[in-house]
Amino acid sequence: MYPGATADRTEANFVVVGAPLDASTTFAPGTRFGPRRIRHFSETFDDYDHRTGRRFTDCAVHDAGDVHAWDAVDEYLEFLEGTLRDVHWDDAVPLMLGGEHTVSAAGAGAVDPDVFVCLDAHLDLRSEYDGNPLSHACVTRRILDPDDYDDAPDIDVQEAIILGARTGSEEEWQRASEDDVTVVAPEDVPAFVPQLEDRLEGREAYLSVDIDGADPAYAPGTGTMEPFGLEPPTMRDVVRTVAPQATGFDAVEVNDRDDGQAASLAGKLLREFVFSRVDALES
Amino acid sequence: MAKQQKEVRDLGEGGYVLIDDAACKIDSYSTAKPGKHGSAKARIEARGVFDGKRRSLSQPVDAKIWVPIINRKQGQIVSVDGNDMQVMDLESYETITMRIPEDVDASPDDNIEYLEMEGQRKIV
Repeated sequence: MYPGATADRTEANFVVVGAPLDASTTFAPGTRFGPRRIRHFSETFDDYDHRTGRRFTDCAVHDAGDVHAWDAVDEYLEFLEGTLRDVHWDDAVPLMLGGEHTVSAAGAGAVDPDVFVCLDAHLDLRSEYDGNPLSHACVTRRILDPDDYDDAPDIDVQEAIILGARTGSEEEWQRASEDDVTVVAPEDVPAFVPQLEDRLEGREAYLSVDIDGADPAYAPGTGTMEPFGLEPPTMRDVVRTVAPQATGFDAVEVNDRDDGQAASLAGKLLREFVFSRVDALES
Repeated sequence: MAKQQKEVRDLGEGGYVLIDDAACKIDSYSTAKPGKHGSAKARIEARGVFDGKRRSLSQPVDAKIWVPIINRKQGQIVSVDGNDMQVMDLESYETITMRIPEDVDASPDDNIEYLEMEGQRKIV
């Protein structure tokens, strides 16, 4: 169980769902251990949050456990999306623990947001990678252009905002230059955060935290490290800004190849998300 | 209520199922493969036949579940009165009064198909 996720399912405002998919990781594998690691390295966090004056155990969070992953990724995403949609239909916010980034397609499909906001080192705008349209390198493209792929989630996302991206193929940068994609380089994200609030006003967002958006110095436990990344406080500020508008959240691409830095950061950002959303809705 | 028992694995898209005592038509059916030590689980998304409400359930595929028996009937519109119409069942010749759905253009002598279960009816 995620530490402090003690609410009953029927009374929960947030539901943690583990999605330990590890099928298309292209360099260092291990995202199958992500949910377990994030839960484990969140054990040390205090229940009390000084900034908001709230306790995590009072925020009505439930942990529904993991949706066991299997090899048929398209079938897995369909089942996972349904599980997350149940949460959404209950007027709760799914908090998904990945797993490779591919699982975000299920998360976004479940809540059908207006805007997909993503902290990520990579654009993930490939139409396919190594012949696989469901690779973790294609997830933002699947969400943005669902009609390109038969079994893509039935969603109508107007815009993708990718924060901290610093690499992609030529094809991806071309797709990123279109009007429905905003890419903000890591060094420009702090100045962009105040604009983000205005950009999201009146719209529903889905927030995906790919932990490789952080500089590898802070989160080495991830599959495809990319230097010159985001500072953790910048990621925290993004999470605080997006949380009030977000009807779905995930933290993905955490693996077991470090001493817990990546999992710890992911777990902390999840808590920031919960505290910020509760604070915004109740204040 | 007329119903029969089946296993969750026997259900499929387009079929019917009872969820929360409401007759529902299945929109989607997906299965989670078993882990090494678990049984496969099915997840069903369905919509209430008579109330249109979305419902879902998640159960092991070998769990028992109730499926409602819904009759599909033919009828002929005898007369229209405001939002209601008189319909004659073409099998029993019984005449019943039904509310005209918003998306139906009802006129006398039209033939209609409708679903019936325990006094609840819905035009197909």
